[in-house]
Amino acid sequence: MILIGLLKVERVTKNFGDLTALDAVDVTLDKGVILGMIGPNGSGKTTLFNVISGIYTPASGQVHYRGQTITRKRPHSICRMGIARTFQVVLPFSQMTVLENVMIGALYGSGLSLREAKEKGIEVLEFVGLKDKIHTVPDNITTHDRRRLELARALSTDPEIILLDETMAGLTPTEIEEVLDLLREVNKRGITIFMVEHIMKAVMTLCEKIIVLNYGQKIAEGAPQEVAENEEVIKAYLGDRYV
Amino acid sequence: MKIPVSAKWWAAIALVILMALAPLRISGYSLRFITFIFMWIGLAASLNLLTGYTGYLDFGHVAFFGIGAYITGILMLKLGIPFFPAMFIGAIVSGITAVVVGIPTMRLKGAYFAIGMLVFAEGLKHVALELDGITGGGNGLSLPIYTNYVFFYYIMFSTVLLAIGITYWFERSKFGLALMAIREAELAAEVSGVNTFYCKLIAFGISAFIAGIVGGIYAYWMSFFYPGDVFNVLTTVHMIIMAFLGGAGTILGPIIGATFLAAIEEFLWAEFKYTYLITVGFIVVVVVLYIPRGIVGLIREKVFARS
Amino acid sequence: MFAQVLLNGVLIGGIYASVAVGFSLIFGVLRIVNIVHGEFIMLGAFITYWLYKLMGIDPFLSLPLTFFCLYIFGFLLQRYVINKIMEAPEIMSLLLTFGLSLIIANIALLAWKGDYRLVNPEYAGAHLNLASLTIPYIRLSTFLFALVSVAGLQLFLQRTDIGRAIRATSQSKDGARLQGVSPALIYAITFGLGAAVAGVAGSLLSLSFSVFPAMGGDYLLFSFFIVVVGGMGHLPGALAGGFILGILQSLITNYLSAGLTYIIMFCILYVMLIVRPTGIFGKGIVE
Repeated sequence: MILIGLLKVERVTKNFGDLTALDAVDVTLDKGVILGMIGPNGSGKTTLFNVISGIYTPASGQVHYRGQTITRKRPHSICRMGIARTFQVVLPFSQMTVLENVMIGALYGSGLSLREAKEKGIEVLEFVGLKDKIHTVPDNITTHDRRRLELARALSTDPEIILLDETMAGLTPTEIEEVLDLLREVNKRGITIFMVEHIMKAVMTLCEKIIVLNYGQKIAEGAPQEVAENEEVIKAYLGDRYV
Repeated sequence: MKIPVSAKWWAAIALVILMALAPLRISGYSLRFITFIFMWIGLAASLNLLTGYTGYLDFGHVAFFGIGAYITGILMLKLGIPFFPAMFIGAIVSGITAVVVGIPTMRLKGAYFAIGMLVFAEGLKHVALELDGITGGGNGLSLPIYTNYVFFYYIMFSTVLLAIGITYWFERSKFGLALMAIREAELAAEVSGVNTFYCKLIAFGISAFIAGIVGGIYAYWMSFFYPGDVFNVLTTVHMIIMAFLGGAGTILGPIIGATFLAAIEEFLWAEFKYTYLITVGFIVVVVVLYIPRGIVGLIREKVFARS
Repeated sequence: MFAQVLLNGVLIGGIYASVAVGFSLIFGVLRIVNIVHGEFIMLGAFITYWLYKLMGIDPFLSLPLTFFCLYIFGFLLQRYVINKIMEAPEIMSLLLTFGLSLIIANIALLAWKGDYRLVNPEYAGAHLNLASLTIPYIRLSTFLFALVSVAGLQLFLQRTDIGRAIRATSQSKDGARLQGVSPALIYAITFGLGAAVAGVAGSLLSLSFSVFPAMGGDYLLFSFFIVVVGGMGHLPGALAGGFILGILQSLITNYLSAGLTYIIMFCILYVMLIVRPTGIFGKGIVE
């Protein structure tokens, strides 16, 4: 069981034409940790997630998971290996029920049979609090619920690491608290969390370590308090202060 | 209001038995007309397997019908191979072609995939025209004539059963769920562990296989065909409308859509020769604007309560 | 003679470019593959034909009228029909425009019959002789008018406020709102413009090629080729694509066989779609 360096992003660079979205970024994720990633819009956070999960191939650099190089692997393989992710703008399967949505992750991410996947699906949905919406379609549930669905689907793939992309945007303070509790529970079950978030309160209270990206470069790394007081970080945000 | 599952099954079985026994009572024109409808159900169901379940709109699907027709025809005519093996080989070639073409083409998004397949089908038409040594070119291909209409009725019917059976399997299986996930949000499916590339290709291959079978049967049934006949973009359009009119992504959809449209066209062709294409156009417009979920979708919404 | 073949290709290429720009524009801004494009060309050709046949109006003089009529037609079609599926998945707009194309082409067939017609003004045969090259005046003028319409469209997009709003909308739907115009209006205007330019192209084509209700299909295929090669939504690319098609067609018809034109065109189109969907300049829209 790898504890240190479960996920290693090594000098990853990604370009889109003239735009350098990621510039030799290094990240080390240890098992069981909750790592936060913050940075202004367009700083490359989602791009980094896309590289890790295999949606993009970096121009240079490597991604290692459990000692294996996964840089060129397809997203579905990476998911089956144990890295799940959610999307900033949720992507539910609209014509399928909430349960069927989650079953996809259980069937293909975890490799279960139809019957097992159904059981697992119900279990995960219960965990995130969507048990009474099992047979509803995503269009008929709230935005908050859709975020939970996205999380549930990721969890059903039986991940070791979960990449969360702005799960809490647009939620009320109460809803944010609920999600924070949920994530603490997820972490207690041994899942390593790597999250992108703009809601500073969430990042500060939940994360043990934070990295900061700006214009594709990692400009700071450390405990929440250190990062909050880092001049580079404050400059990057131009006044975005810890509330 | 929910119809119990067993009632649906009994109705289906009754219908199958009815259709299986029909040739004992009907003959001549009616028999041929129903065979014709079966052909369209088969084609619509074939397109539905791909488009209804993966969301990839194949604007060149007639290519696989044509390949089935030509391979069957050429094997029977030039190599003297009997009908069933020839048709089967034709269908396999169609299926494999789809997979081969799909590998590069399915990387394209929406409209580009549609155009790419349209170009492919049109290109095949011209290839069939140019390779006249093998295909007879513009003069077409003439097969030995076989006029046992009951025979064609039963093989078209069997093909329909096969196509519907596969559709049913799509609806119920792990594989089918993956296809629907691809249709709804391909990226989300991929990161949830679905090997989208592989799944799409398999669906494409299966759907082309069915179209190939229908093409092979058509070749033998008509005894004569030419490139413009079996590589006709209007055939693809019909398949698409039938699937959408009935309800894409459903089992009954292609059946209802094909029966409805084929019946209308038969009537129109007899009464209003020149306006039938205008009517087809209107049906397309109406379906897209007002009944995008098709007739099945309409019925589901109005008659059954949605949770 | 090679130079003549090349020249013919260039002259026809210019017209092909004007055939495709409307299609490219509509895709670039509305993101729909407009199958009715072929019918816009056909209608433009017929307007020119009937005005000439019934009222003796010179085909070049009736161009503004074609432009105006097709603009109105395109605008209304988008505003009242196509606008309904702007939010729907792409395949819906493909199907819708296909249905509309069937309706329009077949009504034309019903009304005007399938006979092949040609617009043949008295000056049709006259040509210019330049260093052993024969340049028919008609080809030259249609070539020039085609270039003017492409340039005119480009200037309109670059220099006018509406043009700016159109370009902003092609970047993002909110681009229009930021400019203070409603996206729905921009869509309708753009569609009208695309239709108008296509109509004018049809008018120009009527002087050199047969006019008949089903003519739209081939020109639609040509337009696909041109915009995929030149880059979807990239107007200068449409110009390049037009010339490439014209020259290619001229070379193949002269040195190989006319029947191969389609096959070669399709192969190139196919390869481009797979290997370089953004077109030769890499500026095409693929999303």
